[in-house]
Amino acid sequence: MNQGIDLQGSFVQALIDLGIPAGSAKALWLPLPMVLMLIAATVSIFVVVWLERKISAAAQQRIGPEYAGPLGTLQAVADGMKLVFKEDIIPAKSDPLLFTLGPVIVVIPVLLSFLIVPFGQNLVITDIGVGIFLWIALSSIAPIGLLMAGYSSNNKYSLLGGLRAAAQSISYEIPMALAVLAVVMMSNSLSTIDIVQQQSGHGVIGWNIIRQPVGFLIFWIAALAECERLPFDLPEAEEELVAGYQTEYTGMKFGLFYVGSYVNLVLSALLVAILYLGGWDFPIPIEMLANWLGVSETTPWLQIIMASLGVMMTLFKAYLLVFIAILMRWTVPRVRIDQLLDFGWKFLLPVSLVNLLLTAGLKLALPFAFGG
Amino acid sequence: MNLAEGVQLVSLLLLSAMMLGAALGVVLLSNIVYSAFLLGGVFVSISGLYILLNAGFVAAAQVLIYVGAVNVLILFGIMLVNKQRDFTPIPNAWIGKLATGVVCLGLFALLGAMVLGTPWALSTEAAAGDAAIMLIGEHFFSDFLLPFELASILLLMALVGAIILARREFLPDEDLDQPADQVLTLPERPRELVSAGSTGNTADESGDR
Amino acid sequence: MDFANLGAQLNAGTILPEGVVILTLLVILVGDLIVGRTSSRWTPYVAIAGLVGSLTALFYQWDISDPIGFLGGFNSDALSIVFRGIIALSAAVTIPMAIRYIEQSGTSLAEFLVILLTATLGGMFLAGADELVMIFVSLETLSISSYLLTGYMKRDPRSNEAALKYLLIGAASSAIFLYGVSLLYGLSGGETNLNAIASNIVAQGSEPPIGLVIALVFVIAGIAFKIAAVPFHQWTPDVYEGSPTPVVAFLSVGSKAAGFALAIRLLVTAFPLVADEWRFVFTALAVLSMVLGNVVALAQTSMKRMLAYSSIGQAGFVMIGLIVGTDAGYASMVFYMLVYLFMNLGGFTCVILFSLRTGTDQISEYSGLYQKDPLLTLGLSVCLLSLGGIPPLAGFFGKLYLFWAGWQAGAYGLVLVGLVTSVISIYYYIRVVKMMVVKEPQEMSDAVKNYPEVRWTLPGMRPLQVSLVLAVVATSLAGILSNPLFTLANNSVTNTPLLQSSVAMTQDAGAPVQLADAEINQ
Repeated sequence: MNQGIDLQGSFVQALIDLGIPAGSAKALWLPLPMVLMLIAATVSIFVVVWLERKISAAAQQRIGPEYAGPLGTLQAVADGMKLVFKEDIIPAKSDPLLFTLGPVIVVIPVLLSFLIVPFGQNLVITDIGVGIFLWIALSSIAPIGLLMAGYSSNNKYSLLGGLRAAAQSISYEIPMALAVLAVVMMSNSLSTIDIVQQQSGHGVIGWNIIRQPVGFLIFWIAALAECERLPFDLPEAEEELVAGYQTEYTGMKFGLFYVGSYVNLVLSALLVAILYLGGWDFPIPIEMLANWLGVSETTPWLQIIMASLGVMMTLFKAYLLVFIAILMRWTVPRVRIDQLLDFGWKFLLPVSLVNLLLTAGLKLALPFAFGG
Repeated sequence: MNLAEGVQLVSLLLLSAMMLGAALGVVLLSNIVYSAFLLGGVFVSISGLYILLNAGFVAAAQVLIYVGAVNVLILFGIMLVNKQRDFTPIPNAWIGKLATGVVCLGLFALLGAMVLGTPWALSTEAAAGDAAIMLIGEHFFSDFLLPFELASILLLMALVGAIILARREFLPDEDLDQPADQVLTLPERPRELVSAGSTGNTADESGDR
Repeated sequence: MDFANLGAQLNAGTILPEGVVILTLLVILVGDLIVGRTSSRWTPYVAIAGLVGSLTALFYQWDISDPIGFLGGFNSDALSIVFRGIIALSAAVTIPMAIRYIEQSGTSLAEFLVILLTATLGGMFLAGADELVMIFVSLETLSISSYLLTGYMKRDPRSNEAALKYLLIGAASSAIFLYGVSLLYGLSGGETNLNAIASNIVAQGSEPPIGLVIALVFVIAGIAFKIAAVPFHQWTPDVYEGSPTPVVAFLSVGSKAAGFALAIRLLVTAFPLVADEWRFVFTALAVLSMVLGNVVALAQTSMKRMLAYSSIGQAGFVMIGLIVGTDAGYASMVFYMLVYLFMNLGGFTCVILFSLRTGTDQISEYSGLYQKDPLLTLGLSVCLLSLGGIPPLAGFFGKLYLFWAGWQAGAYGLVLVGLVTSVISIYYYIRVVKMMVVKEPQEMSDAVKNYPEVRWTLPGMRPLQVSLVLAVVATSLAGILSNPLFTLANNSVTNTPLLQSSVAMTQDAGAPVQLADAEINQ
C-alpha cells in the first residue's frame, strides 16, 4: 500500500527551506490541521443546514429558502448571523453558570472527535492508537452538558428533555460501542486509518457493510439516536416538551446546541462512512484502474488525484448518509420514550451482542474474509 | 527543556490544579448538583493525567466509564430524587467540621510523609503507549483470566439485583382488594399494565422495521 | 500465545467446585426465566444439590498435587478447601430455612437463590484467592451480593435501612481496603501475586517501610469490617436486625468465614515483615470484640440484635487462633468455624421458625414457649447453650481448643479475657433458655399464647424442619464425636505449605505473641 502524500513533511520542509528553524516550523504546523478541521466542520454545518431545508421543502412540496444567495445557499449564514446578534437572555431563577456551561460541554466533545476522522491516508489530525474508542469516550460526555442545560434552565420541560436526552444517549451508546467492537475485531486495531486500510483494496466488495450488515444497521440507528434525529428526537419533541433542554436558550447559546447537533450528524455520517463504507476508498479499486491504464501507482499526479478523490469519496459517502437521515426525518414517525428505551435495551443490545459473537466466530472460521 | 517537556509540565500543573480544585469543590460545596458536576471535572482531569502518563486507552476508558456512565448516573439519581432543599443549620456544626478537617489534614500529612519517605520500586520499562491495548488484552486472558471472568458473574448478579430492587412488585391479591381511593394514590399501576403489553408489541414492530 | 499450552498452564481443575456453583446459579436463573413462578418448587433443591456437588468436588480435591491454578491467581490448598467447604455448607444449610421465609414475604425465590449463590461463589473464591486483583473482585462479589440480599425485602423499611447502611459502610471499607492493597502493589514494584509481593518487599531490605504499616492498617480495616470486629462492627446490629433472617444467618457464618480465610492468607503471606504489628492490632481487635460484643449483648431485647452482638463476640474468640499463629491456633480456628456453622445456623433456624409463627423476634416474647413448641425450644436451647460453651455440646470443645491453643502459645492475657467474656456470654444465652423453659403457663407471653398449631406439612416447612434437626443433631453430636472434625481441621493446617512456613517463622522469631500480650497486660 502506498503512503499517499506526506503533507506535514512537505510543509515543514518548505518552511525550513525558507530559513525557519525546524522546531518553529513544526510548531507552526501544529495548529494548522486543527484550524482547517474547525473551518471544515463549520462549513459542513452550512451545507447540512441548507440540505436540510431544501430536502425538507422538497419532501413537503415546497420550494424552501431561495432568496439568500443562489438557491438559498446563504440561508444558513443568515440564520447564524441572526443568532449572533440576538439578545442573550439568561432566565431569572436559573443557574447562570451551569446555563452557560451546558451548551459548551455539548459542543466541545463533538468538535474534539474530529481529531480521529481521516479523509485520506495522511489526512487526519492524529492517528492515535485508541482511535475510534476516543470518539466513543468523547461522545459519552455530551449527556453531562445536556443534563446541565436541562437542570439549570429551571424549567420542567428543560429538565425532562435533559433527562430524556441523557437516558437516550447512554442507552444507545452500548449497542453502538458493541457494533464498533465487531468492526475493530475484524481490523485488529482501533485506529481509524487501520480500519479503512483493512477495507480498501478490493473496491466495494471489501467494505465492512458487506461483512457487517447488521452492525451497520445497529450503528446507524444508534448514531441517529445519539444525534437526536428523528425518529429519535424525543428530547426536543415539540409537541410534548416545547423544545426540551433548549427551551430557555436563545442567541448564540442556542446556536451552540444547533451547531453541536448538526456537527454531530456530520460526524456520525463520516464515521459510518469510515467504519462501514470504506472511508476514502473508491468503489472500484483505483490501483486496478491504474494498472489497466498502465500508469505506475507512484506517479505524482496520480497520487494527487487519488488523494483528492479520497477526500471527495469520504465526503460524498458522508453526505449520502446525511441525505438519508434528512429523508428519514420526513418519513418516519417519532417513537415514544418507553418504546425508545425498550428498543435500545431489549432489541438492539441483544442483537449487537449476537452480532459481536457471530463476528468472533466467523473471524476464527474464515480468517481470510474476516481479518483473522 | 524542549517544547514537549515544557508542555508536559504545564499540562501536569494545570490538570493537577483542576483536579484538586474540582475535588475540593465536590467535598466543600453545599449544592449537591454542583458537587456532582465537579465530580465529572475530577474524572476528566484524572483522564488527562493518564494521557500525560502515555496511557491513552486508560484515559479514554476513564472518560467513557466514569464521566459517561458513573457521573451521568449520579446526576440522574440527584435530579430524579427530589428537589433541592436547604437544611436547617445545626448549632455548633463548626466543631464537627473542624474535627473532620483536622482528621483529614492528619491523614494527609501521614500519607504525604509515607509517599515521600518510601523508596518506591519504580519500573524502568518504557510506557507501553499504544501497545497497551494488546498488553491489557493479554493479561486479561492469561494471569488475570480468573478475576476477569468472575467479574462477568459479578456484573450479571448486579444486573439481576438492580432489576429486582427497581422493578414494581407483582401485586399480591390483598392489594387488589383494597378500596378505590387506594388505587388512586398510585395512578400509574393500572395504566402500567396496559402499556406493558402494548410496549412489547411496538418494540417488536420497530424491530421489524 | 499458544492457547492449548495456556489451557494446560491454567490448571482450571482447581476451581471445579466454584464451577459447579456457577453452573447451578445459571441453571436456576435461566430455568426460572423459562418456567416462571412455578419454578420455586424445584429451584431450592437444585441449589442445594449444586452446593452438595460443589462440596463433593472439594472433597476430591483434598489431596490435589498442584493446588496453584490460573497462573498463581487461585490457590486450592487444604486451608482454602476447608474454608470453601464451610462457606458452601453454610449456604446449603441457609437455603432450606429461606424457602418458607421468602415465600411468606411475597418476594421471588429464584433471584434470592441466585444472589445467595453468587455471594457463596464470591466467598469461595475469596478463600482461595492468591492475588490482589482476584482478592478484590471476589471480595466485591461477596459484598455486593450481600448488600442486595440485605435489601431483598424491599417493602420493609427496616430492610432498606439495613441495606443502605451496609452498602455505605461496606463501600467505604472496600475503598480503604483497596487503597491499602494499592500501596502493596506499589511497594512491591508492581506485583499482584501475594508471594511475589512478600518476597519483593523483603528483598528491598529488612526494615519494613512505613508504607507497609499503613497498607497493613488499611487492609485490616477492610478485613475487620467483613468479620465484624470491634471497632468496625457498627453496621452489624442494624443490618442483622433489619435484613431477612436467612440472609443474616449466611452473613454471620459464610461471609465471616470468607473474611477469616482472607485474613489468614493475606496477612500471613503478604505481611511477614510486620507480623508483630498485625498480631498486635488483631490482639486489640480481639479483646475489644470479645468484651464489647459480649457485654452489649447483655442489654439487648431483640433476639436478632442479641445474636448480632454475640457473633461479634464469637469473632473475637476466633481471632485468638489467628493471633497465636501456631498449628494448633489455625486448626482451632477452622474447628471453631465448623462447629460455629452448625450452632449459629441452628439458632437462626429457630429464630426464623419463631418469627414465621408469631411475627416477632423480641426475647421477652419467647417466654413459656416450652409449653407450645418443645422441638423449637429444644433446638434453640441446644444451639444457644452450645454458643455459650456449655460442656457436652460442640461449642464447648471449640472454645476449649481455641483457649488451649492460646494458652500453649503463651497468650495468657487473651485467653483470660476470653474466659471471662465467655462466662458473661453464658448469662445472656441462658437468659433466653430460662425464658423459654422455666416460665409458668400464666407467665406466657401474648405471642406464645396465640401460638399457632405446629404444622410441618405447610409448603416450605419441611425443609426448615430438616435444617433445624440437622443443625441440632450436629451441634450436640459434634461435641461428643468431634474427632473427625478435629482431624480435618488439623490436616487442613498441616497440609497447607503457606501456614507451615509461617508457623516455622513464628517459632524462629521467638513467639511475638508474648510481646503483644505483655503490652495488653500492662
